[in-house]
Amino acid sequence: MKEQLSSLKKEFEAQLKHVSSLLQLEALEQTIFGRKAGAFTTLAKQMKDVATEQKKAIGEMMNTVRLKIVKELEEKREALQREEMKKIAETESIDVTEPHLPKEAHGHMHPMSQVEIELSELFRSMGFMVLDGPELESDYFNFEALNIPPSHPARDSHDTFFIKDHPEWVMRTHTSPVQVRAMRQYGAPLRAVVPGRVFRNESTDASHEHTFTQLEGLVVDTDISIADIIGVMKGLLTGILKREVEVRLRPGYFPFVEPGFELDMKCLVCDGKGCNVCKHTGWVEMMPCGLVHPEVLKAGGLDPDVYSGFAFGLGSMRLVMQKYGIEDIRHFQSGDLRFLKQF
Amino acid sequence: MLVSKNWISQFNTIPKKITPQQLGVDLTMHVVEVEDVIDEARFLDNVVVGKVVEVKKHDNADTLHVCTVDVRDEKLQVVCGGSNVREGMFVAMGKLGASVRWHGEGEPVVLTKAKIRGVESFGMICASDEIGLGDMFPKQSEKEILDLTDIIASKSSDVVGKSLAEALGLDDVIFDIDNKSMTHRPDLWGQYGMAREIAAMYGVALKPYEPKKIGKPAGTGRDLSIQVKDAKACPRYMAVAIDNIEVAESPAWLKKRLMSVGVQPRNNVVDVTNFVMFELGQPLHAFDIKQLANKKGDVEIVVRKAKDEEAYTSLDDKEYKLTKEDLVIATKDKVVALAGVKGSNNSGVTNETTSILLESANFHAVTIRRTVSRHGLRTDASARYEKSLDPHLCELALRRVVELLKEVSPKSVVSSTIVDQSDFSLDQGPIALDTEFVQRKMGVDLPATEMVRILTSLGFGVKEKKNTLSVTIPSWRATKDISIREDLVEEIARVYGYDNIVPTLPMFPIVPPKKNALRELETRLRALLAYEGRYTEVSNYSFISPELLEKVGEQTKDYLELENPIAKDRPYLRRHLRENMLEMVERNLHRFDTVNIFEIGKVFKKELDGEKDGLKHVLPRQDTLLAMAHAAKGDENPFLHVSTAFTTIMTRLGLVVEYTKKSLDDVLVHPGRFAEVSVAGKKIGHIAEVHPLTAEKLGLDARTAILEVNLSEIVSLLTEKTQYLPLSQYPSIERDVAFVLDTEKQHEDIAAALIKADPLTVDVELFDVFTGKNIPEGKKSMAYRITYRSDEKTLEGKDVDVVHEKIVAMLKKKFGAEIRA
Repeated sequence: MKEQLSSLKKEFEAQLKHVSSLLQLEALEQTIFGRKAGAFTTLAKQMKDVATEQKKAIGEMMNTVRLKIVKELEEKREALQREEMKKIAETESIDVTEPHLPKEAHGHMHPMSQVEIELSELFRSMGFMVLDGPELESDYFNFEALNIPPSHPARDSHDTFFIKDHPEWVMRTHTSPVQVRAMRQYGAPLRAVVPGRVFRNESTDASHEHTFTQLEGLVVDTDISIADIIGVMKGLLTGILKREVEVRLRPGYFPFVEPGFELDMKCLVCDGKGCNVCKHTGWVEMMPCGLVHPEVLKAGGLDPDVYSGFAFGLGSMRLVMQKYGIEDIRHFQSGDLRFLKQF
Repeated sequence: MLVSKNWISQFNTIPKKITPQQLGVDLTMHVVEVEDVIDEARFLDNVVVGKVVEVKKHDNADTLHVCTVDVRDEKLQVVCGGSNVREGMFVAMGKLGASVRWHGEGEPVVLTKAKIRGVESFGMICASDEIGLGDMFPKQSEKEILDLTDIIASKSSDVVGKSLAEALGLDDVIFDIDNKSMTHRPDLWGQYGMAREIAAMYGVALKPYEPKKIGKPAGTGRDLSIQVKDAKACPRYMAVAIDNIEVAESPAWLKKRLMSVGVQPRNNVVDVTNFVMFELGQPLHAFDIKQLANKKGDVEIVVRKAKDEEAYTSLDDKEYKLTKEDLVIATKDKVVALAGVKGSNNSGVTNETTSILLESANFHAVTIRRTVSRHGLRTDASARYEKSLDPHLCELALRRVVELLKEVSPKSVVSSTIVDQSDFSLDQGPIALDTEFVQRKMGVDLPATEMVRILTSLGFGVKEKKNTLSVTIPSWRATKDISIREDLVEEIARVYGYDNIVPTLPMFPIVPPKKNALRELETRLRALLAYEGRYTEVSNYSFISPELLEKVGEQTKDYLELENPIAKDRPYLRRHLRENMLEMVERNLHRFDTVNIFEIGKVFKKELDGEKDGLKHVLPRQDTLLAMAHAAKGDENPFLHVSTAFTTIMTRLGLVVEYTKKSLDDVLVHPGRFAEVSVAGKKIGHIAEVHPLTAEKLGLDARTAILEVNLSEIVSLLTEKTQYLPLSQYPSIERDVAFVLDTEKQHEDIAAALIKADPLTVDVELFDVFTGKNIPEGKKSMAYRITYRSDEKTLEGKDVDVVHEKIVAMLKKKFGAEIRA
């Protein structure tokens, strides 16, 4: 038995040296430990014939040999596996720049929606409600309630779409009618923005559309001042443009505010030094705004002796055009997927 | 409007330290928007008066000449393409180093020695627009150079070589004001009004505007009768006759003033009327009395509304048919002017004129504005009347023009009494202004003395008692501009300077803003549809064409229509999103094999009640719809692409969608591929493949499916997911079953029957549908994977076998299914 064991071990070690693959190793393992004909298995089966007094010594020896062989097999296996892994670096190498095929189409959100959502989120974070209003609006809300009576010259500049057989209706020319609707519905104090579609009857070209978007803002409380407008607008633009901005107010006329302002922002391109973007003035016109006219507060059911407020109108489509450098406003409603897939 | 620095300096003294650029900025910040500050001589460095002494044809170019130009110190050879160049002509000679703008556009270019078609050229003979004088000397034709021969007063040779700026006296700075920024300020439409603002801005004195009073006529004079038939349309009409007029060229100072603000001089009479209009903002008109007067030389004028279809021929010989809304100035037998707009060609001043009737009137702004837009006839006069002029200006203007006439036509004499028909009243206040109110509105603790100073400098009358100012409005601000205390806050704040106000932030309670459920739904849907459903969002116009409506079988009578559509081809307000969407699919299929698009937008239904109109009625209903469309070349069943995407998205919102094949009378809809879409038992819209015939009419190159649902209906159904099923402790077993059955049998029914068949069936999934090869006509093969699980024990194969057999039997019996291997 002893001799058989030691020759088995020698034989194994001799063969192990010739093993150069995992398959060969597997085969060698089988010749030793195979369940039916493995050399070691066979020897182990003979243990029952060993004399009782020798059993302990032989058994211990068998175990020692077995552990040794198993260990060597393991070591060889690991060595071979390491070799193998070196090879797959080449055999299984891939082109990491290929896309997964078949290619799946992607969906895209309209750039106007993306910016409107971003703006709405910003305003909500500052406590503003986000409101809607009808696109086909009454003459009353679009004009009269905003201190623009029938003969007012401001009506001329609004290039209004009228509705056949319904002189009392118009396609809203601005989002401002929602100011009065909001005051009537929610009272004061009030903070609201109204992103939405507006209509002007003017011929279209690269920078003019008859259908475009605005974002109206309204703040009503007691004791709102011009100083508040400047402060809030500065904060808003900083939030929208994600950088510190400098703003200035100058006189501007809109019938539904008094006083009315044009709000300019120091040109971000040239930092106020003057360039083509700001027409060499150092300032870019951003939005009209003003303190809500007492007549408008009255139309909204609020007492102008108690309440005051300010309103502003942001040309959100212009903002998107500036953000992405879009040269033609007509792209927005073209439905051209070559345009939309870029966003 | 153009404002001349030299002109306004007649009325105030602009502080020396204020540069023209600064004045421009200050006007923008305190008064009106200045678009440009133009130094008249900005392009005139190295530009001198030259005299063309020789003109020869260029050997190598038909349209070019080689000229010799005398500039006193030297004679320069210059190649010139001017169509009007001739020997003896005085020209604007741009010497080397001069900056010119080619064709009056773009950035200036510095002239250097050049060889033009082989001939050396030392500078350039300039056109007016190339040296910034295009407004002053408009070109008659494209290739015309500026001909100074008649313009340079002294034609002697000593003008030659002089700098052009000096020769023309161009030492002014012009401010170009954006007219849109002063529509509410009738007082700013003349130089004097601007001078008043500047004086207030810098705290300097303003010279009063006090022309001499008009004297009495010599002798009995002419008899003038003015009858104003419509005092509302004409609150004031003043007139006076002047005789012994000598029509002539205006003196240089007058021409220069007019040209500096972009007005072309005509003759002394017309020029002084224009001068006063541009100085004071009050239009004037001069009639040739010969054309108005009777044999005795007396004049009868009627200011009346025109008759319908009444003919009027303007000074520039254009013919108009008036309406009874228009106001005219007429004699007994003819219309002599369209009031406030323009004179007639039958009574204007000519070179033969010796007597004139001067009109200085006030007309109702709205009447003039309507006339202007009705006839498309806008003039400098009408632009001013439209702003609601101060009737007091009539008298000042008339005095000023008579004073000036005496200067430009010294023999002229007043030959009638002044007629003044007036019927007007202005609300000049006073307005009670609480100083604390001003401080609160401004957010600045401005002292009352400063408020008083500002208001007074603008012409307001101010009486101070305690903390209240009693403010009287000057007539030129009282026509419509200023009427409430907020208007006064603006006056004080803008002159004080918005830049001097320290920004503050209002105080607000910290409460989350109210939610807008529809908006939030739209926002979630946009993200889900785009980023999970892989559909791209489009935006269509709200307007739609009758041709498109006809193609899809819609009746235009159901539609709201625009009174004045921009494009005549899209006059209707959409009731659906689908039509314009399908047009977009069609266009995009030319470029893309697959088109997946969606839109969220409002539609207009006149038969349904919408929001309140603010008075007593309601607006048409304007619900927000969602439409989805899918088309792909080779996709024979686009319906399922859309329905599956929609179901998936709705699942995210916690909503279960049902598609029910309810017949629909709609030519847009494929007769075998349509469904009503409902959520929680509520109908929300439709989905269908486009009918092949309609698809052909629309030019769709691939089968297209479209879904349209009403989001306004979904909002109320939204719920938040609140359920969770504990994970089972026992494993599940999956079995597949494939069978053939009639095509009209529906997946939804089969799936429902399978899941209900036994408590052990916990999930059912369709994984294959097949028709065609080896499947008989009218049949389809379907394969389902059924998941079995018990919540009480680990199922064994034999447990499942029993149930599975039961299910197979059910499929055979209930659906006539033929089980495949």
